[in-house]
Amino acid sequence: MTQHDFRPSRRTVLAGIGATALGAGTITFPGAGMAQDLKGGTLRVGLPNDMTNYDPMQFSTVNFFMIKNLYDALIEYDENGNPVPGLATEWTIADDNTSVTVKLRDDVTFHSGNAFDSAAVVATLEKAADPEKGKNVYSTMSIVKDWSADDAHTVTINFNDPVPDRQILDLLQFLLPLDPEGIADVETVPAGTGPFLLADRKVGQSVTLKRNPDYWRPDQPILDEIVFTVFSDNAAATSALESGSVDLVYGGGSRAAVRLRDAGYQVLQGPGKLVQVFRINSTKGPFRNKAFRQAFNHLMNRPAILKVGYAGLGEATALPWAPASPASDPSFNDTYAFDVDKAKALLDQSGLSDAEMSDWALLVNGSDEASVAISQVVQSSLREVGIEIELDVRQGAEFIDALLSGDFAAVFGGVGNVQKFPSRVATNSIYRTVKNPVFGDPHPHPAYVEAIKRVDNSFGEDVQPAYDNLNEVLVDEAFAIPTNTYETGLIVASDKLGGFTLDIDNLLVGRTIGFK
Amino acid sequence: MKQMHAILAALRGLLRQTGATLGLGFLGLIVLIAVFADLLPLDPLGQDFLRTLEGPSRDYWFGTDELGRDILSRVVFGARTSLVTAAGAVTIAALIGVPMGLIGGFFGGWRDAVLMRLVDVMMALPAILFAMALIAVFGRSQGAALLAVGITGIPGFARIVRAQVLTLRKRDFVVAVEAFGGTASYNMFRTILPNSWSQILVQVVVLSSVAILLEAALAFLGVGVPPPTPSWGEMLRTGKSYLHEAPYYAVLPGIVLTLTILAFDSIGRGLSRLIENPRDAALQGSLK
Repeated sequence: MTQHDFRPSRRTVLAGIGATALGAGTITFPGAGMAQDLKGGTLRVGLPNDMTNYDPMQFSTVNFFMIKNLYDALIEYDENGNPVPGLATEWTIADDNTSVTVKLRDDVTFHSGNAFDSAAVVATLEKAADPEKGKNVYSTMSIVKDWSADDAHTVTINFNDPVPDRQILDLLQFLLPLDPEGIADVETVPAGTGPFLLADRKVGQSVTLKRNPDYWRPDQPILDEIVFTVFSDNAAATSALESGSVDLVYGGGSRAAVRLRDAGYQVLQGPGKLVQVFRINSTKGPFRNKAFRQAFNHLMNRPAILKVGYAGLGEATALPWAPASPASDPSFNDTYAFDVDKAKALLDQSGLSDAEMSDWALLVNGSDEASVAISQVVQSSLREVGIEIELDVRQGAEFIDALLSGDFAAVFGGVGNVQKFPSRVATNSIYRTVKNPVFGDPHPHPAYVEAIKRVDNSFGEDVQPAYDNLNEVLVDEAFAIPTNTYETGLIVASDKLGGFTLDIDNLLVGRTIGFK
Repeated sequence: MKQMHAILAALRGLLRQTGATLGLGFLGLIVLIAVFADLLPLDPLGQDFLRTLEGPSRDYWFGTDELGRDILSRVVFGARTSLVTAAGAVTIAALIGVPMGLIGGFFGGWRDAVLMRLVDVMMALPAILFAMALIAVFGRSQGAALLAVGITGIPGFARIVRAQVLTLRKRDFVVAVEAFGGTASYNMFRTILPNSWSQILVQVVVLSSVAILLEAALAFLGVGVPPPTPSWGEMLRTGKSYLHEAPYYAVLPGIVLTLTILAFDSIGRGLSRLIENPRDAALQGSLK
């Protein structure tokens, strides 16, 4: 079993990191050590898509370029998944893991000039816990019972049950405090403490941020201004980079990144990867048969899928974890490698006839070139074992409807939240343990539901066995067959830039970037 | 027999025109390749992941695509998709459009008004939009694409045949058949229709080129025949995404598609020229 760098030793160490590092004002983010060598100026960034709104709880990939530049989190993870202080200087998890007490910085102001204090954290928690307003943070708040402001710069969050350390840290990392005065209008007016202020926005065209002169991190941001330009497509954005019209492309595709890397550009792959998963509706057709489903563990030609769909940028994986996840276990990649003979043995074991095994269609997102390509790889692999299937290619809303309503036999779809606490994988529709849109209730794979519960309730020495058990259950139940990690929030930059900070969620962190 | 004579006469007339001859030659080659593609040592579906997006080589004359498939093989088999779509679409359009034109032109009155308003409505809809709507209803398949393209071709046939019927309706030979007790259907299908073959043939050629182009456009927009069926339009669509890595990808399907459209166009123009100016004695009386 794999060993992980991240082993949270709570209560003392976590608090110590914050106090020491911040007291000296020398947070050792990657690249920050180069800060003195980097110069300010205007950074021109190309984006393939425009953002939706300024609410940091709207955690959509199209908003990733903006969130960490307008807001700060209570804590952050470094690229290896270790927690480092943000707006919280220290955090103490109770011995029984039913609460966490967070000490806040006292030298921070919001962009409005209002002071950052525990009232702001409370207001943020209230918004996050509101099913209407909490958006993507709402599900993370399910572990929270209540909270209280102990003093102006101390907040205690209480949990419904004992919660594992890593899950508590994930919550703190996911909370980006909002100015209480600005919460009502946060979708249209930013209300954060971040290193940049909003200077201008032309919807569908550009967003301009300027340096926050009152920013609390010493010597940051380095840049004076960031101009984000929205391009119609990825090719246009990369062409702009090659022509020198922009200095950096954020959120572009893997293929263009590989080409530009070969041409001498910097390509930065963060730890916040997504995992491509062959989602199986185990309530339909031949997929009700477990051995038939298990055969797909060996029918995924992962290296080919990675190469064809993502230009080789990523890793093959048989489990739904990014390498930064504490549950990641690369040994499964060998055990469940592409093997036609093993697949055939399982197909024979299934007892299904040839006609039954071919009686389904693979739903394909026609708007996603990678999905179209990798679906054809699978179609070809299936042909090798005598399974002839059609591709049911659908576009846009038609595809999304089918995906979210479970109206499919099988389909490729990416999953996120796979670099953090393992049970967060259950925020993805196919992995939900309750109200699963594909399977409904009761969940047809109780062993999986139990495995997730065990992960949520394991402490100390029981943690790793719980992760191992979850991994075994995932490949045994085989209702979702991961194939590879792939990049989101990919950074392709000119070599004149430096000081990049790789965020755990692959958000763009502009405060440490500068010109060489 | 009379139709066969007309076609042979038209063929002879076309062969006297350089552009039409080249068009016929190229189209003949494409049809032959499409029909006998299975006999050629080509595999349009075989994937070779070690040789994806390779440039032209001895093994792969026009390179490989993103799945390591032979681009030449896919272009050859893609001809089937295009030609079957064209043939199917033309058949549907002609089977519905020609009777509509005949009935409307022959009877006139309310029948003509109803049919022609229907045609007006169909012509008011942009073909590509109408085709996409149909595909949205019936799903993405070659049958749906064929049906969509075919339906958009109906107005063309209906209009042209109606115009021809209106021209012929009062001619002596038609009036004579009526005078001798010929029924309306006999007159329409045995008297007027045979004298309209030349115009219908031109429309067949024109619609074939439009159908191939429309099928390619639908595939380019991602709503054509589903993969892995080879399609020129689909290859152009995918090739566009690999312009930087594999600029050769879209070259062959692009050239073949262009030449095929050009071939149909040349033949169509040749036929039109023959109808407008049938100097060739062989054509006298058969095309006019």
